[in-house]
Amino acid sequence: MLFKLENLSHQYSDGTLALDNVSLNFTAGDRIALLGTNGSGKTTLLHHLNGILQPTSGKVYFEDKPLKYDSKSLLNLRKRVGFIFQDPNDQLFAPTVKQDVAFGPLNLGQPPDQVQKVVEEALRTVGMAEYAEKPPHFLSLGQKKRVALAGVLAMQPEVLIMDEPTSNLDPRATSEILHLLLHLNKESKITLLLATHDVDMVPIFANKLFILNKGKLVSEGSPKELFSDAELIRSINLRSPRITHLFEVLKKEDGLPIDEQLPLTIGDARKEILRLLGQQKPSSPRKRKSRVHGS
Amino acid sequence: MSHVNLSAEIDRYAYTNALSKSSPTTKLLFSLALLLLSVMSPSPVVPTIVFLTSTILLVGFAKIPCRFYLNLLWYPLIIVAVSCIIIALFFGNQEPLTEINLLGFRWTIFRDGVTMGFNTFFRVAGAISTQFFLVLTTPMTNILLILRKARIPKVLIETSLLIYRYIFVFIEVMETMHTAQELRLGYSGWLKKIKSTSLLLGNLFIRTLEQGERTFTAMNARGYDGNIRVLEDLPKSSKTALAAIILLAAALTVVAYFTMNIGIV
Repeated sequence: MLFKLENLSHQYSDGTLALDNVSLNFTAGDRIALLGTNGSGKTTLLHHLNGILQPTSGKVYFEDKPLKYDSKSLLNLRKRVGFIFQDPNDQLFAPTVKQDVAFGPLNLGQPPDQVQKVVEEALRTVGMAEYAEKPPHFLSLGQKKRVALAGVLAMQPEVLIMDEPTSNLDPRATSEILHLLLHLNKESKITLLLATHDVDMVPIFANKLFILNKGKLVSEGSPKELFSDAELIRSINLRSPRITHLFEVLKKEDGLPIDEQLPLTIGDARKEILRLLGQQKPSSPRKRKSRVHGS
Repeated sequence: MSHVNLSAEIDRYAYTNALSKSSPTTKLLFSLALLLLSVMSPSPVVPTIVFLTSTILLVGFAKIPCRFYLNLLWYPLIIVAVSCIIIALFFGNQEPLTEINLLGFRWTIFRDGVTMGFNTFFRVAGAISTQFFLVLTTPMTNILLILRKARIPKVLIETSLLIYRYIFVFIEVMETMHTAQELRLGYSGWLKKIKSTSLLLGNLFIRTLEQGERTFTAMNARGYDGNIRVLEDLPKSSKTALAAIILLAAALTVVAYFTMNIGIV
């Protein structure tokens, strides 16, 4: 088990119970989505994984050892567990892109020429190398989010925790960020955990899904399992992916013989339509450019 | 809010001008040397040379648009001109030059007062041009890195670093709030204007506190331990440029000495 939360509760000083007895765990290499409406406790939960918040009750285990909150243990944890904030303006504090990305590695005590190298590499990975000397206020939101990602990647974490990494981004920027994340998971074996309410993105991104509602963990499983239960999803003010909804209507209202397992992504939907048309495989298998279909 | 845009423009030029990649140490030395020479010069000759040198470097080499530069110069020069006219009229006590009738009073203008007024104007104009040279060609971050090297206390440098970064965030926040208030008619009338402005400032203050809290959390998440470490990779200063600055400064000192008694009147 990489991370394990045991009966985690968190109450803020104003009395709000943001997390209520949450227990969950996940393994290294997973791509996890934490789904929930605004105010469901997603951010609070994420803040516990990086030691930003301490539980009011319950425990957090990282690699089967309970988290310790002294500064040395926290530094060790944060070296391995990177955190990307929702608003990049919170995270980008340095006057230039390069200085900001260098902040983490310098704190880890790496020598300057090595820092120079990791900074360049991280910026290249997120495609922001030519902006190294620019101050953050010259950048667009999408670019700022990439720089924030580079700042965490430069610390070479094993786990990447992200709070709404694609919120407020245009479709292209969303797709690029998602692609980058999937690439990191595949090539560098980085475990990804992101909080989101973008249900269309979840099936493309995640292999594991946790659903939070009002501070409680309502459900966990693969996106396929959880999105099959349309009633549950609706009862907590979320919705199915658009494409799934369309197939649900086609099945229920129009009586089309659609498979029990409704498609969640464009790719699934394509297969299902071709199956319905009596063609098991696309007649001229065009190699599609691997693109992520966002919302 | 044109003054806000103006400072953002200056900042933009500092990063994009043709001299932005050259050594900040050289530029800082150049502007400081010329600033001192200009301010200490006894006649308008050296300040004029200083003014022309900075201007030629800015427009010809750094490729700052002439219009923009003149636009910047305009405001301080008007203020300086007014002050210098006052000096010329009211200072001095030797060699009466002329007498004027001021609202029924007879007012004597002295030669040394007028000379002082002129000299002051030229000195300040020269000085201003050197400082515009510095701010328009040198990114703020580089200036801070040099100050850091010069062992200015850490707390000042780190505070300036953060202020410089977040000033632009808050300009945006302020503009958004201002527009939101304006769209709901918050500035239609004198009393409402005062009320809206005070609300805006109060809110802005709270926002800065919150931002500080969040930034601190984010910095902690990346291993902040009370020291902001930075990569020092400033462009190296060239020996030729340094030699040129020293020669120029020496030459100007000589010029200042020999033109000591040249005055406009």
